[in-house]
Amino acid sequence: MSQVIFENVGKEYVAGAWAVRNFSLHIHNAEFVSFLGPSGCGKTTTLRMIAGLEENTHGIIRFDQDIVSDPEHNKFLNPEKRNVGMVFQSYAVWPHMNVFENVAYPLKLKNIPKEKIKNDVAEILKIVELSGLEKRKPHELSGGQQQRVALARGLVMRPRILLLDEPLSNLDAKLREKMRKDIRKIQQDFKLTMVYVTHDQTEAFQMSDRVVVMNKGNMEQVGTPDEIQRHPVNEFVRDFIS
Amino acid sequence: MKKISYIFGFILILVFFIAPQLHLFFIPKFSDFTVIFVNENTIKAIQNTLAISLSVSWFCLFLAVPLAWLLTRTDLPNKINFRSWFCLPYTIPPFVGAIGWIILANPTSGILSLWLNQALGIKLNIYSFGGLVWVETSFLFTFMLLSTLAVLDKMDSSLEEAARLSGAGPARVFTDITLPLLKPAIIKGFILSFLATASSFGVPALIGGPARLYMLTTQIYSFQRAGTSNGLQMAIAISAVLGITTLVLLYSSQLFWGVSKNYTVAGKTPRPSLLPLKKYKYPVVFVLSLLLFVIFILPLLGILLSALSPVQGSWSLSQLNLNNFIRVLFQTEETLRAILQSFELAFGAALFCTLFSFIFNYFIYRTKFVGRTFAAVAISLPFSTPGTVLALAFIISFSQGIFGVGPSLYSTLWLLAIAYIVKYCSLSFKVLGDAYQQIHPTLEEAAKISGANWRQVMTTIYWPLLKPALMASGFLVFMPVLSELTMTILLTGPGLETIGTLIFQLQEYSDMGGGGASVLSCVVVFFVLILNFALKTFSKGRYGL
Repeated sequence: MSQVIFENVGKEYVAGAWAVRNFSLHIHNAEFVSFLGPSGCGKTTTLRMIAGLEENTHGIIRFDQDIVSDPEHNKFLNPEKRNVGMVFQSYAVWPHMNVFENVAYPLKLKNIPKEKIKNDVAEILKIVELSGLEKRKPHELSGGQQQRVALARGLVMRPRILLLDEPLSNLDAKLREKMRKDIRKIQQDFKLTMVYVTHDQTEAFQMSDRVVVMNKGNMEQVGTPDEIQRHPVNEFVRDFIS
Repeated sequence: MKKISYIFGFILILVFFIAPQLHLFFIPKFSDFTVIFVNENTIKAIQNTLAISLSVSWFCLFLAVPLAWLLTRTDLPNKINFRSWFCLPYTIPPFVGAIGWIILANPTSGILSLWLNQALGIKLNIYSFGGLVWVETSFLFTFMLLSTLAVLDKMDSSLEEAARLSGAGPARVFTDITLPLLKPAIIKGFILSFLATASSFGVPALIGGPARLYMLTTQIYSFQRAGTSNGLQMAIAISAVLGITTLVLLYSSQLFWGVSKNYTVAGKTPRPSLLPLKKYKYPVVFVLSLLLFVIFILPLLGILLSALSPVQGSWSLSQLNLNNFIRVLFQTEETLRAILQSFELAFGAALFCTLFSFIFNYFIYRTKFVGRTFAAVAISLPFSTPGTVLALAFIISFSQGIFGVGPSLYSTLWLLAIAYIVKYCSLSFKVLGDAYQQIHPTLEEAAKISGANWRQVMTTIYWPLLKPALMASGFLVFMPVLSELTMTILLTGPGLETIGTLIFQLQEYSDMGGGGASVLSCVVVFFVLILNFALKTFSKGRYGL
């Protein structure tokens, strides 16, 4: 697992229009950090910059000692080289592959022997409680099960960082509660560095080690759930979490 | 009232959409079919049709799929403009392109042929297998382009992003994820461009004729033109084979390959992350601009040059003048008649199709009347039937009145109008059907509770709500009818000129030296582009290309 270090990171679409601005943050090894804020606050853009799906225009992003993006020196590591797992809001489970093929795909690209792929996939499917469903196609799965396939696919590659983009927003309330606990448990068991994007403060406060509250591309406050709930630094944070 | 309208509409569908084709298919005796398959010319025509259509489909695939990908998944500059320009050939009748390419690349006096021969010693001859395939491809690739663009627009781009994060590079993502998800659209585009080539008439007649390359459609035309009863019998038998093959191919493909099944994510707005082209950006822009120029601009420039040149074949920019336009448009009696009749027919067909689809779609989506699914299929059927086949079916069914009842329709504008309506009603029907499905049934129920009867529901609820779709439906029928050639050439008679047949006559027989066909082609392109632009503007980009 890796640390993620943002140094004055910014993304400017056109001159003067900032999606994210002056973002500096040190995410520690095996830490669970949530980006919390209303829609359009830049939380998803920041997450996608970690993945390499968006390029920052300012500042430096590092994984441990490795610089993955430094636009000033024209350095940019493509997403496929970053070894980052991601669970998308829409799950993004490939409809033309079955559960096994979906989860095995990252391993297949690493040219890992077939026998080992089989074992690794079986092990991960057990952790996400999908054993026995290997041959199912995505359209034969419920939303919650598809979510678990996406999670398994992110975990199986032993990523440096696991990113989750509002993964629970399409699930019903009861399932959401169970998934929160499962995700937190997996994160602690694997000692994963995890970045979690949400607009739901209950979710962020319940699961995270630290929460980053964002608004209009700016970081408003960083702290443990306790700190933020007790001492919101300004009007916006107080309003948003109440 | 509702029921009577439905039954009346249903009878119209049976008599005009279904019966003529069935009639045609059941006329030939078994012996007629055996004659086709031993006749040297028809065997050659079958071989040509297969070879040309398959080549065109493959070229369309290799041209359109990478193009669709570049237009949706990369940070290509000016993407929106490139996209509308590349889709535009869809609206222009291919025979106009054929005329353009004949001016550019005929072996004796083509501008490009002369120039390439002088500069590089390359001999260009449009009257060839390659020439025919090229001209067809340069228009029909839009079928593949539109069907793949539709899927790429709706495809959740996180499917592709997930693959990148799994460690796949852009090329791998394309082969592992994008291509498999596009498969249904590609198969659909492949079959559509195959069928469109196999049923095309204008291009094979103008280019294949001089090259002695006959396809089934041109073979049917020459048999029918021969005027003998034996000729007509052959034409009917070939039409039956072509028509039945088309239907079988179209519907079996839907059954076997699940062509209608598409993997898309509904209800979310995908926000595609665009692949940066980086150092390839400007080379790609250059190649696409060049491609667009050669495919689309060049033949239109050829037509324009020919229309402005007083002497065809001696190309000189200093001699250009408007004499051809003045002569063809104002001093030729047929021209005005042809333009007026084409506009009348296009307006009539558009009006009728739109009204019919407006009422009949109500029965399809808002009632449980028996046979409504069958009726919906029946209406869409003639659009995929080759125009040549359809025209022949109308000739034999309606020459002695409507199946023997009433006066003969042959050589009347009525027969042309019926043919256009039957062929293009599907376009109108689909647009209005989609629009009906967008309207929640509670709106009608609320009106009924307020005391409205069916007629009032239709006029005060559906008509105003469907207005944009009704307008679009009118345009979509109007545009192809305005320059229709394939059916018209078989159904026309003395004094029944339309823009399409007049262009064909001028090009083939009477005005080789005068650039008359080019003048009228310019007029057609002008009208079509204006109409398309109008449709796009008033519908705020929802319809039109």
